[in-house]
Amino acid sequence: MLTKDFKYVGQTYPIHDAPQKVRGELVYVSDLNLPKMVYAKLLLSPIAHGIIKNIDTSKAETLPGVIRVFTHLNTPNKTYSRYRIIPDQDFCLEDERLFTEKVRFVGDRVAAVVATSLETAKDAISLIQVDYEVLPVLSTPEAALLDEKTKIHPDGNLIYQYDYQLGEQVLVSNDSVEVETTTRTQKVHHATIETHVCVADYNSAGKLTIWAGCQGAFGVRTIVADLLELSYNKVRVIKMPMGGSFGGKQEAIIEPITAFLAKEVRRPVKLIFDRKECIMATMTRPATSTTIKTSVTKDGILEDCIVDTVLDAGAYATSSVDNAYAMSKKICRLYRIPYYQHQGKIVYTNTPVAGGARGWGAPEIMTALEIHMNAVAKRLVMDLVEFRRKNLVHPYDRDKASSFSLGNARVIECLEKGAARFGWNERYYRMPDKGRYRRGVGLACAAHKNGMYGGFPEHSTMTLKMNEDGSFILNTGLHDLGCGTITSIKLITAEVLDIDPSNITVLEADTENGPYDFGSYGSRVTYICGACAYEVAKRVKEKILECASLIFRKPKQYLEVANGTVGISGHQQQTISYREIATTAKTKDNTDIVITHTYHGTSNPGVYAVHFAEVEVDTLTGRVRVSDYLAVHDIGKAINPGMVEGQIQGGVQMGIGYALYEEIKIGNDGRILNSSLANYHVINAPDMPTVKTLLIEQGGDEGPYGAKSVGEIAFVPVAAAVINAVNNALGTSLSDMPLTPEKILAAL
Amino acid sequence: MQIEFKVNGEEYQMDICPTMRLVDLLRGKLGLTGTKEGCGEGECGSCTVIMNGKAVNSCLVLAPQIHGQEILTIEALEKNGQMDRLQESFINNGAIQCGYCTPGMLMSAKALLMANSNPSEEEIKIAISGNLCRCTGYNKIVHAIKEAAEE
Repeated sequence: MLTKDFKYVGQTYPIHDAPQKVRGELVYVSDLNLPKMVYAKLLLSPIAHGIIKNIDTSKAETLPGVIRVFTHLNTPNKTYSRYRIIPDQDFCLEDERLFTEKVRFVGDRVAAVVATSLETAKDAISLIQVDYEVLPVLSTPEAALLDEKTKIHPDGNLIYQYDYQLGEQVLVSNDSVEVETTTRTQKVHHATIETHVCVADYNSAGKLTIWAGCQGAFGVRTIVADLLELSYNKVRVIKMPMGGSFGGKQEAIIEPITAFLAKEVRRPVKLIFDRKECIMATMTRPATSTTIKTSVTKDGILEDCIVDTVLDAGAYATSSVDNAYAMSKKICRLYRIPYYQHQGKIVYTNTPVAGGARGWGAPEIMTALEIHMNAVAKRLVMDLVEFRRKNLVHPYDRDKASSFSLGNARVIECLEKGAARFGWNERYYRMPDKGRYRRGVGLACAAHKNGMYGGFPEHSTMTLKMNEDGSFILNTGLHDLGCGTITSIKLITAEVLDIDPSNITVLEADTENGPYDFGSYGSRVTYICGACAYEVAKRVKEKILECASLIFRKPKQYLEVANGTVGISGHQQQTISYREIATTAKTKDNTDIVITHTYHGTSNPGVYAVHFAEVEVDTLTGRVRVSDYLAVHDIGKAINPGMVEGQIQGGVQMGIGYALYEEIKIGNDGRILNSSLANYHVINAPDMPTVKTLLIEQGGDEGPYGAKSVGEIAFVPVAAAVINAVNNALGTSLSDMPLTPEKILAAL
Repeated sequence: MQIEFKVNGEEYQMDICPTMRLVDLLRGKLGLTGTKEGCGEGECGSCTVIMNGKAVNSCLVLAPQIHGQEILTIEALEKNGQMDRLQESFINNGAIQCGYCTPGMLMSAKALLMANSNPSEEEIKIAISGNLCRCTGYNKIVHAIKEAAEE
């Protein structure tokens, strides 16, 4: 139990750049204007599958203001993976090129125009004429696996398949119950309010600079530099303020092309995707179909769990193999399962490209799992809470997949405290409604992770330097996606140094001027990068004490820091300020207080949430209103509780959309039927319930001050909680997402 | 064509292309990049500004329509170095995450409070129903507007 009170950690602070944001002063990539900057516009394929037979750019080229036009005919045919984070990374299929000769989805890159104005670039695009040889369109994984003649890529449509077992297959007892369910999840648009934008410049010194709203500047660098055959010291990627990401800007989608164009035209180039392009031609959450089969004793103990997943990767592989594999490793983080088997297929289709999205596979698989667990409990006629309690993991269980400890996994406590707070029993066991409006309640448990340790290299580097006046600059490779990362890191550093956070500046990623970091994904930022900040601050604190000991002429073990000063323990009057220490160190002792530290992750505990939803279904219209919501999170320790609450409320908002409304609809011909926010429904304020939160803060793991992740896990249980509530209200077993009014009416 | 208009209290005379959108005029011609664009079709509300006291999507207003009109943008919310109470309330209530929707959200809220100094929670939600936020789940935004109105 964490009982120690902290000065800064655990207090609520606004996001670090809030004062600029409320004034409209913060410069996002879309606001960036450079001298002599020109604009790029892409021609995207209007058909889902075909070969370019002829492409005529002559009219576009002669339009006044057009600088150059690019197609597959005058650009490199080198292929690359836009997902790659580090050089030579496994499972990064290099199946994409800057401009394609063979279009594989509606939105594939056919040509680009660079012009002196965006309007001219747009006009020129409409003057390009393309003749296609149309190929059969495979718009679903089923169709793609069945049609062996039509190959989206040369090696066929099955990208990868896996099949593995964990644990010993046991003889299932005679009176066991076997339950099977299938859940379909849909392609979803990340819907960042700022679309994808990039600015790049290549100067006469041979240096490329990229201003990117990205989640991993070093990943962008390795992709772009290798593609354009530039030395890494000649490529500078600067992480800029960004209007949301949610995984949608994790991969280098538009940076390679913008960089290439800038290098060719030797002027700064800005490429802005409009909303339609952003929906069609960036990235989607993958569509999946998951069948889960479990055997359970009549007492409700899980005996085995057999899972089969098909993941629709869309037209290019990018991160889909890793995504599917990550998905398959989640279930054993949540439930104790003696024997677990998972097989999966990752399949190309002629549809928008799938990739990482908030939760990285966990939402898809946990939705399927928690719909399934309700079905099992119903078959056993067992209470939903009781059934889960019997099977959920306990603190310090081992993760069957990685064999690492799950750490202080408090999911049972989340379930029990949440059920009590929500009034689960009273609400679940009340008389069902009979009229037009039917209320129902649902719950869902979820597990996720803290960083990439166990499956990927996991470390972070930071440099903390003390200025002459005793203030600090922490140089990092961080990426604040709008989640409050910089503020959390500042609070952790301030707590260690015992100085007001306003005296600490935290810098974000800049591949030229800052230390290396993998980026903001994998729920690694607070747990891993936060621990790095903690460790580097501790080392700087030691150095401060060493410098102070020279001034005091006392061994440093007699000294302590307090409120930006150092004093002799037990003698509160005798203190010297950080300013005096830093200045004295520099001027008298030839010492600079600066430390660079690399923190290596050595654990990857589970992070848990249990969510409770109440819905009201209108049986006349099929519309669902989420009327009450409680989110309980095993967070270890909330560094910035107000921001944690904001992350959870945002996760719930996105999850309700996932459960009920959001879907990128694709016709049989591969055309996107809703490439606009007018017909792609993102939840607005009146749709949103008040989300109550309950944080379980029991620490016990290696994160800073015991903290664990929250941004991704906040989204993971939402869809299942809402769907389970709808099924409870109606007595249905719907599992084909999203639960649109049409599907609900059809099920009644 | 020649138009005259006021933005944030300053008078302008400008020769513009009649198909220019207000959002482009503000961002491109006047350098007021606090007004954001997120969809270009009036669905996301990022480009909300106040035109003669009413919140409008500046991506749906053509420049000729502002002839003789008065526009307020996010840059005018702070007066004489003093933040508007909505701005303070957004900061103090954690109503900001990525911040891209914030200027539009604030302008919709400002237009609401200009017309109704004591709105109900429902009225607040309706006033910002055209402003999409993908980060916060709106709870803290609604609370921030309510608190600003109550001050």
